[in-house]
Amino acid sequence: MRDIPSVLLSNEEIATDFFHARIANPFVARSAVPGQFLQLNVTDQLSPFLRIPLSISGVDPSSGVVEVLYEVMGPKSHTLSRARTGDVLHCLGPLGNGFDPPNAGRLILVGGGIGVPPLLFLGHRAQTNGSQVVLLIGARTANKLLPDEFFKPAAQRYLVATNDGTAGHSGMVTDLISAQIDSSADCVVCTCGPHGMMVQVAEICREAAIPCQVSLEEYMACGFGVCVGCVVEIAADDGLPSAYAKYSRVCVDGPVFEADRVIWRST
Amino acid sequence: MIDLSVDFAGIRLRNPVMLASGTCGYGDELSKLLDLSRLGGLVTKTITPEPRSGNPPPRIVETPSGMLNSIGLQNPGLDGFVNEHWGFLESLDTAIIVNIAAPTADAHARMAERLAPLERIAALEVNISSPNMKDGGMLFGCNPVAAAEVIGAVRKTAARPVIAKLTPNVTDITEIARAVEDAGADAISLINTLVGMAVDVPSRRPVLDNLTGGLSGPAIKPVALAMLWKVRQMVQLPLMGIGGIMDFNDALEFMIAGASAVQVGTATFVKPDAATVLVSGLEAYCAEQNFSDISKIVGSLAT
Repeated sequence: MRDIPSVLLSNEEIATDFFHARIANPFVARSAVPGQFLQLNVTDQLSPFLRIPLSISGVDPSSGVVEVLYEVMGPKSHTLSRARTGDVLHCLGPLGNGFDPPNAGRLILVGGGIGVPPLLFLGHRAQTNGSQVVLLIGARTANKLLPDEFFKPAAQRYLVATNDGTAGHSGMVTDLISAQIDSSADCVVCTCGPHGMMVQVAEICREAAIPCQVSLEEYMACGFGVCVGCVVEIAADDGLPSAYAKYSRVCVDGPVFEADRVIWRST
Repeated sequence: MIDLSVDFAGIRLRNPVMLASGTCGYGDELSKLLDLSRLGGLVTKTITPEPRSGNPPPRIVETPSGMLNSIGLQNPGLDGFVNEHWGFLESLDTAIIVNIAAPTADAHARMAERLAPLERIAALEVNISSPNMKDGGMLFGCNPVAAAEVIGAVRKTAARPVIAKLTPNVTDITEIARAVEDAGADAISLINTLVGMAVDVPSRRPVLDNLTGGLSGPAIKPVALAMLWKVRQMVQLPLMGIGGIMDFNDALEFMIAGASAVQVGTATFVKPDAATVLVSGLEAYCAEQNFSDISKIVGSLAT
């Protein structure tokens, strides 16, 4: 983890309110693992104030380029969307613990909305390590889908679901999971997306007795463990939460957790 | 090399810049991002007699030029602190101030007694100002009698200087400042966070699970400066300025208004090395002004 001024190489809108940015940061490009994230300073001014945490969606260690995908939905992402090629952003990372799927023969990645980016990095890396990767992508509607070119390098096969049926399966991305579970292979599921979707994915995996890793999100200030703001409730190893360790920090204890240890909060 | 060393309540500090409680944990995470030996010191995250799990999330939300937090003093308790964190803190080449909070004056005193043998502790900072502690904290800091009772009890058992950390959520902060001075405090740090709220319009619910939280960051700097300046005129004790300090110019504002030292808090979340960059800024300022002793600037406000 280092905080390095990094040049923005490109910053383009690739779907409605979805942006793809490329950042020159050889340190992160060489050391990051899938599931880790960055804290980007989007301005030198006092507002927006905090950094924006963004999952790494890809790296190129040879050129030192790091990629992120983000949705414009608040002041920080709005400010970032207006940054131009050549701008210098302070980039703290790589942060957190990444996915660590146990030698999966078959890796099923389930992403919803802007939860897809870390799975693209994971799928790409897992294929080079010999896993068979299938990517399931959920979106509200067709124009909220990333272009196909982002999915192709991440999986041998990818399937899309939209809530309104404007692309792929009409319904929830979770509808697609069962058909992908192959009892003859060692299946592992990794997921990132909206809270409700991840709860369902975790439940499906629990019933099918398949390991599942989830990448969680929570309001975050520092990103390196000191503010203790971005907590989630995680059961201790013996299944019982301890008084002090009832809440774990998404930034340094996660963001990836074993799904069966997450105590999902009701919303 | 410019000498920025200062004396604060009998503690010799390398420079007047410290990391504020709750923004630097117990030092281990930040030691990877900045050179802690460049700082005057650090103030630990508050420890309580027993472990506390803190408040349910969401605990934080960004607000204009600042943020709200309602962490709820998540900490491993006194034993956990000594067993898990003291070894690392003790190894650091910087002053270590331990921040404590407890539900009663007696419980504060017992914590001070327990910490007395730890020789590397430079001072205790008593958190009578947390807005996120329903069984202490601000309950004491809003009442001069209760504040004096806690500080008096800690003073009796503490082996090192006692710093009272005050809340701004009072009608007259100078009343509390005088009470803790009379009770034997060796110094005062101010201000803790201001009670604030953020509302999510679609759900019409407060953003924070705790409903309200403590506001910090540059948004509170003018409030902190005014309170520090008022307290400066009413007490003799050395003051530690806290509230929205982002850079060396902010630190100088507090020192001119009467702070003998400052704490950098929320700035660290945005720029992990904010405090060490601030120290370099102070060094450059002193060199440019031909200052040999930075404490000459303390309380130099022209009114």
